[in-house]
Amino acid sequence: MAFYEQHIHPKPTTFLSKYIFSFDHKMIARQFIWYGILGLGLGGMMAMLIRWTLSNPGVPFPVLGNLFFPMSGGVVPPDSYAMLFTMHGTIMIFYAITPLLIGAFGNFCIPLMIGARDMAFPAMNMLSFWLAVLSAIILVASLFVPLGAAASGWTAYPTLSTLIGSPGVGQTLWAIAIFVLGISSTMGAINYITTVITLRAPGMGYFDMPLTVWGLWLTAILNAIFLPVLGAGGLLLVFDRVFGTQFFLAGAAATNGTGDPVLFQHVFWIFGHPEVYILILPAWGMVSDILSFFSRKPAFGAKATALAMTSITILSTLVYGHHMYTTQMSPLLTQTFMTLTMTISIPSAIFFANWLGTLWRGSIRFTSPMVFSMGVVFVFGLGGLTGLYLGTVTTDLYLHDTYFVVGHFHYTMAASVLLGSFAAIYFWFPKMFGKMLCEKLALTHFWITFLGLNGVFMGMMMVGYGGMHRRIYNPFIYEYLEKLIPLNALITTAALLMGIGQIPFLINLVSTLFFKKEMAPDNPWEVGTLEWTIPTPAPHYNFKNIPVVKCGPHEFGNPNLTTGRDFQYQTEELVKG
Amino acid sequence: MNKIIVTLISLFTSLSAFADSVVKSNPWSLSTYLPPEDISVNGHLIDYLFNYTTYFNIFFFVLVCLGLIGFSWMYRAKNHPKPYYTYGNKKSHILVATAIGLFVFLTVDMNITRISNNDYVGVFTNWPNAKKEQVLKVEVLAQQWAWSFRYAGKDGVFNTEDDVVSLNDLRLPTGKKIVFQLQSKDVIHSFFIANTRRKVDAIPGRITRMWFELKDGTAGDYEIACAEMCGTYHYRMAAKLKVYPQEKFDRWMTEAEEKAKQENDADNAELFWGWPWSSNSNVSMMKK
Repeated sequence: MAFYEQHIHPKPTTFLSKYIFSFDHKMIARQFIWYGILGLGLGGMMAMLIRWTLSNPGVPFPVLGNLFFPMSGGVVPPDSYAMLFTMHGTIMIFYAITPLLIGAFGNFCIPLMIGARDMAFPAMNMLSFWLAVLSAIILVASLFVPLGAAASGWTAYPTLSTLIGSPGVGQTLWAIAIFVLGISSTMGAINYITTVITLRAPGMGYFDMPLTVWGLWLTAILNAIFLPVLGAGGLLLVFDRVFGTQFFLAGAAATNGTGDPVLFQHVFWIFGHPEVYILILPAWGMVSDILSFFSRKPAFGAKATALAMTSITILSTLVYGHHMYTTQMSPLLTQTFMTLTMTISIPSAIFFANWLGTLWRGSIRFTSPMVFSMGVVFVFGLGGLTGLYLGTVTTDLYLHDTYFVVGHFHYTMAASVLLGSFAAIYFWFPKMFGKMLCEKLALTHFWITFLGLNGVFMGMMMVGYGGMHRRIYNPFIYEYLEKLIPLNALITTAALLMGIGQIPFLINLVSTLFFKKEMAPDNPWEVGTLEWTIPTPAPHYNFKNIPVVKCGPHEFGNPNLTTGRDFQYQTEELVKG
Repeated sequence: MNKIIVTLISLFTSLSAFADSVVKSNPWSLSTYLPPEDISVNGHLIDYLFNYTTYFNIFFFVLVCLGLIGFSWMYRAKNHPKPYYTYGNKKSHILVATAIGLFVFLTVDMNITRISNNDYVGVFTNWPNAKKEQVLKVEVLAQQWAWSFRYAGKDGVFNTEDDVVSLNDLRLPTGKKIVFQLQSKDVIHSFFIANTRRKVDAIPGRITRMWFELKDGTAGDYEIACAEMCGTYHYRMAAKLKVYPQEKFDRWMTEAEEKAKQENDADNAELFWGWPWSSNSNVSMMKK
């Protein structure tokens, strides 16, 4: 099926060409993993500061408070608080989850799982990573400019994000950083799309691709279409801030009265709603695969799952209006957006049916990737169902901009995507680095994280239902929110637990990488997809001979097998009775 | 050393304040975790729909959990070494998956969409007709970080010198439909009254609207919040809502109108931040 055969270039020998400006998709994947983990750490630290402030307003942050906020004696001041939640959102979405799932696993899995030697455009791949680094440098630099970093939320609604509400240069740098990251991600997306179309191994039709590749591919399509929209919005914002245009200005400050702040909301959410699916689609694909791999039976309705993912991809572009109900949308529009939003639950229900169908009458091995994937099913069930309240216009009138929304989107975008990323890390780590992570530590990591994140995000939904609105520095100046103080403290405790839960992961990572001697076998999980047919860790240019695909990716438990294995490699002819 | 003592003392006081708040908040009572008391005539529609969705959600989530936990237990490798070899593409499999999808869509989605749409079109955006019934009109101006309110005054015309104007202090009667028109001076704000289950954004350059009616017997003090991030002191953009019974409100209004006539300074341009009451919500305003 491959349109052409990629040449094998000589192995890079210098440090610079091997580790820094590498063209190799596996090295770029590794670079993105560290980038993403660094982002997770930074964003997570900010989350701790936010949570501490919400449950103990006015109390200095323990130990590190004086280092970060010497002027206020260690207390997080209200303006820094706004910068913290803005940066937390931005970093977690664009600089942690995106590089981890799309950057690292997109790069690593796509060529290996479709039997290619590298990406279609290796140089662009390298450029994509280094632009992402440039973008991160701009973003981190914005923390140190006068008047501080961007502070208008990750949604950056004008006119708060224009000079009217944010005079500092931080907001401009934020918009530029997002723009540069948009270029980087668009490059990656074009690369992924082309690779999947042109470089699938001979014999591999679209439905023979693992669902992981399906998820990553659909994500790349959404990225390529919608990140330019965000880039355009960000650029217009920069124009408004720097060159005195008035695209998004209105009211007293608009001297010629031609702009409209709601225009930005449209532009932002046209991108912003697909972004949710950009983040979750790879995780869905991986979970669908991993559930099948460790249930030791074929993925239930794999074709239906792939088609459901595709239909969600299409639907996700048509529902963005549900983020804007409270801007006094016309009932004609609310009706349309509400109905379209609700139709998403059909493919979602098919997913869940298929996931459970995969487990049904399987022979389940509770390895760490499996347990994390089952965690994804759980938290995504909660996140998806609670979306119903927000897609419904009247309940949204009450819940919009409350912590209910925060809890909901953390369940979908943070909890399930995070658990999905960890599942992916534990699963592909041996192929990536040649060593197995410790299973015991991984399971400890899972249970602490799982308990912690449910405490945090369930608690958030509860305080939101109680009426606590978002992005407030001290909720307790409102009398009707005073009853929620203990619950907020509980959320903070759970957040701390979740933070502590990452220690076993770090220990696992460091000890395995630097101290573990024992190399992983070529196929430790006994899985038949193409990346497990090659030596561990994956050699230079992956496949000496391009493999020929003869069966699907989920061939487990075939009763006619006589090889002694309970699975088939994709390169083997399907055994029939 | 001093620093440590100060930190310890502040930690201790915050701890005891916290213990205090736990006792006060009544953590074992369900009402702690419910929204604040509903004082509007139509707020129950929103609560009803929330509960309706919740029952279905619980049903489906329990199903998912039963599947996850039940299958994990029944089909763990030790217990069930021979998996069932199927692609899930048999007729019965496809039928079950499709049935689940359609069941969710038809029972839950289409019902809540229908109910919600009926409520939205029939109630929440069914604007009271001032010609046919008694309506109290209020203009709300949002700005960083305060709410200004304007009643039309004796002449019933907005932005004239007899208007009753107040800052962060909204007084409303029970038993009468109240229509708000909102504007923002600087950034986007959101006018949020949790007790009526309603909010609407205040956006520079356009007028947004909201209406509700307060139930009889709900007289008392409530709070108004800004729900949309609007800058550093977003969290302090709170206003008081005082609800009066109809007669008391009328008495207060008459007094306030008298006072406004005497005290409003017609030469003060700052007084005239209002706008002519508009019947069309999307008229671009504040062109100066």
